[in-house]
Amino acid sequence: MRIADPAVTSPVIATFSKIAGLRDFSQRLQALRDESPEFAALRIDRQYEKAGSIEGVRLHGDFGLEIVLTEPYPQILYWFAMPFTTPVPWEAVAYYDGEEGRPFFKDHPVGCGPFEVSEFDKQSKIVMSRNANWYGVQHPEWKAPGTVYPSEGEAIDRRLGRLDPAYVGRSLPLLDRIELRLEKEHIPAFNKFLQGYYDASGIVHESFDKIVQEGGLSPEMAARGMKLEKSVDPDIYYIGFNMNDPVIGAPAGERGRKLRQSMSLAIDVVEFNRVFNNGRGVPAQSPIPPGIYGYEQPYRNPFRQLDLTRAQALLEAAGYSGGIDPETGKPLRLSFDLGDTSTAGRLRFQFFVDQWAKLGIDVEIAATNYNKFRQKVKEGAYQIFMWGWIADYPDPENFLFLLWGTMAQANSGGPNTANFDHPEFNRLFEEMKGLDNGPERLAIIHRIRSLLEEERPWIELYHRESYALYHSWMRNVKPAGLSLPAAKYVDIDPIERKRMRDAWNQPILWPAYAGFALVALIAIPGVVTFLRERQ
Amino acid sequence: MLAYIVRRTAYGFVVVLGVLLLLFALFFLYAEPIEMARRAVGEKAPPEVLEQWVVNHGYDKPTWWNSESPGDTMLVDHFRSMLTFDFGRSDADDSPILERIRAGMGPSLSLTLPIFTVGVLLGVGLSLFVAYFRETYIDRMGVVLCVLGMSLSILLYIIGGQFLIGKMLRWFPISGFDASPAVMLRFLALPVLVGLAEGLGGSIRFYRTVFIEETGRDYVRTARAKGCGDGRIMARHVLHNAMIPILTRVVVSIPFLFTGSLLLESFFGIPGLGSMMVDAIHGNDFATLRAMVYIGALLFIAAQILTDIAYTLVDPRVRLA
Repeated sequence: MRIADPAVTSPVIATFSKIAGLRDFSQRLQALRDESPEFAALRIDRQYEKAGSIEGVRLHGDFGLEIVLTEPYPQILYWFAMPFTTPVPWEAVAYYDGEEGRPFFKDHPVGCGPFEVSEFDKQSKIVMSRNANWYGVQHPEWKAPGTVYPSEGEAIDRRLGRLDPAYVGRSLPLLDRIELRLEKEHIPAFNKFLQGYYDASGIVHESFDKIVQEGGLSPEMAARGMKLEKSVDPDIYYIGFNMNDPVIGAPAGERGRKLRQSMSLAIDVVEFNRVFNNGRGVPAQSPIPPGIYGYEQPYRNPFRQLDLTRAQALLEAAGYSGGIDPETGKPLRLSFDLGDTSTAGRLRFQFFVDQWAKLGIDVEIAATNYNKFRQKVKEGAYQIFMWGWIADYPDPENFLFLLWGTMAQANSGGPNTANFDHPEFNRLFEEMKGLDNGPERLAIIHRIRSLLEEERPWIELYHRESYALYHSWMRNVKPAGLSLPAAKYVDIDPIERKRMRDAWNQPILWPAYAGFALVALIAIPGVVTFLRERQ
Repeated sequence: MLAYIVRRTAYGFVVVLGVLLLLFALFFLYAEPIEMARRAVGEKAPPEVLEQWVVNHGYDKPTWWNSESPGDTMLVDHFRSMLTFDFGRSDADDSPILERIRAGMGPSLSLTLPIFTVGVLLGVGLSLFVAYFRETYIDRMGVVLCVLGMSLSILLYIIGGQFLIGKMLRWFPISGFDASPAVMLRFLALPVLVGLAEGLGGSIRFYRTVFIEETGRDYVRTARAKGCGDGRIMARHVLHNAMIPILTRVVVSIPFLFTGSLLLESFFGIPGLGSMMVDAIHGNDFATLRAMVYIGALLFIAAQILTDIAYTLVDPRVRLA
């Protein structure tokens, strides 16, 4: 009901509107609030009660919940695994209403996990403490699923010592308290990690070569007992073409398609990652990233392999021989629209422009601030853009819908910024999204993949790779991708931490003494001479 | 004097109104409510949610003029809430702004007050020292160091300080903040040192010029002829007569003690008002930004009036009318 409450402005209301009657409930609630200030002043649970029930949400006893959808949407199960659908007590929602000095509920979360938020300072830190009311803590003897350290896992877990017998069967959570510190500047934060004041960290761009060498930890860092964990993020970064554009989009027909194919073949994403991402990033072959159903590691997109000869041939077939636009007799001029005016951003985009220049195409960077860029997107006044998408849930539908005609920016203001509206793709997508994972679904994904190969509404670039560093005293860490709540398995050896911290942070004081002595040495003769002369 | 204060306050009020109008115009020239909503709710939020956010925050009203209901515009709301000190809630996260200002003032003052007081004392003391030794190598070396210090960017001081003092020499933590008095000084030592080093060059140069001008005056020569000691001349007579420029510089700095230091707070992770302002700028948080600008403008006007009053205290020849 909170998701349906207009006052909450939940960003996922559109998805949950697939639940029968949820939208009606939302509208009834808003209408009642608009009509009657008395209603709006009621306690939140009474407001929800008076607004009536949601038709598609039915309770069956104390432990049964039935959800009725208006259309097939198996992905709803993923949404119910998200933090925003965790059960919360209405009493807490009613109490933490932002009035009379009380925080809003979102700033004082009350849930039912192994940790509770005991301090929430958005400016500096979040502190989580062991939740004494969690069933795992209250009844460790139940050994309920998820309340004890597991004895089984993936093969890599055993190899990396994550299934240490010393931990197996121990009650969770292992830590009493977790402190998350907000550091706005990444260099001081990373230096503090190196000094041992933080247990875990990412790697800052500036120090990457010092920390990582030949894909592993540098000898210096390995000697400090540090551990490096790598993982591929469930995301996609891509260059998109505005498919409504008369030159580069669908209206240009076969000519436009060949132009897009040619431009796709000219982009060397391995070099891009090497130059700008410290080599981190898996070259993308399709919109679906590793770890998501439909991703196949051996698959190679024939239009995503660097091949300038083939790119030039396609460009010629498109009627732009040597990149020359026959209408003007000059290099074909295209616009690369960006919402980033920084020098660093321009350098990144210039890389692509330079690659296209090898084909003879003149791509101009049109950099504006982000707001203006959004406005251009809204008005359809763009040709080429670069964007990214991070998974909401681990399903191919969450990536392929970015090219679904219904979600086209021009049609609905949706996230299909390429405005790709291909009847065959739409049909296949609509069929695929309602299916469970299996051979039938995979076959459709293959057909979608082939269609995208040819049509090229995107040039798929890369899936980010995350490198995380941990000190030797931090145990049982595993990159969990979309499954964020893994903190209950983590352990710390505080004695080792203190020992290492003390050893690493002995102050060096002699420069201070030397500095004072130097100032005195310089100043005293002058003072003495001056005073003697004055005498 | 009272008439003067009333008049200056009235002028100041007009200036504050102008600042508020300018802020409103500049902000909404740049930002659109729907983009503010996108920043607050998230990039992936559907249009209807963004529109709901805009309505909930009152940004759906006409910006400048509403012919049907002239009082029902964003501009009127803006002035109404500022003039009644009803700062409301942050556009970024709905937290009460007044509460955040109260919470941020402590960390900001704990950083800026030591920089200010020690900076003034050190600046005046060292400039008296170099002025006393004028035309010697101490003076020349002091001037060269001051110019060098003024030429460097504050970012260099911050990053250099964090690297050298925090990381290499390990005298103090690189960054962070803890309100507990037992450890607060340890965390504040480095940002205070950096703040002092950054401001000292300019201060010494300024005060030295003032003092050297004063030491060339007739009354100094007379005092010396009468056998008055150098220390007494500098500390009593020169310092006293140089108070007007010193006060001008010092009192005008007072508002910035409250508004905090944007860069120092950001780099050293101090949850003060400067850091809050930086977040508000980056996050299109108009509600927080206007509250901070409004308070800054009020403090600045107050400081100007205080400076004028202070002139009458240090120089009996000055009269406010």
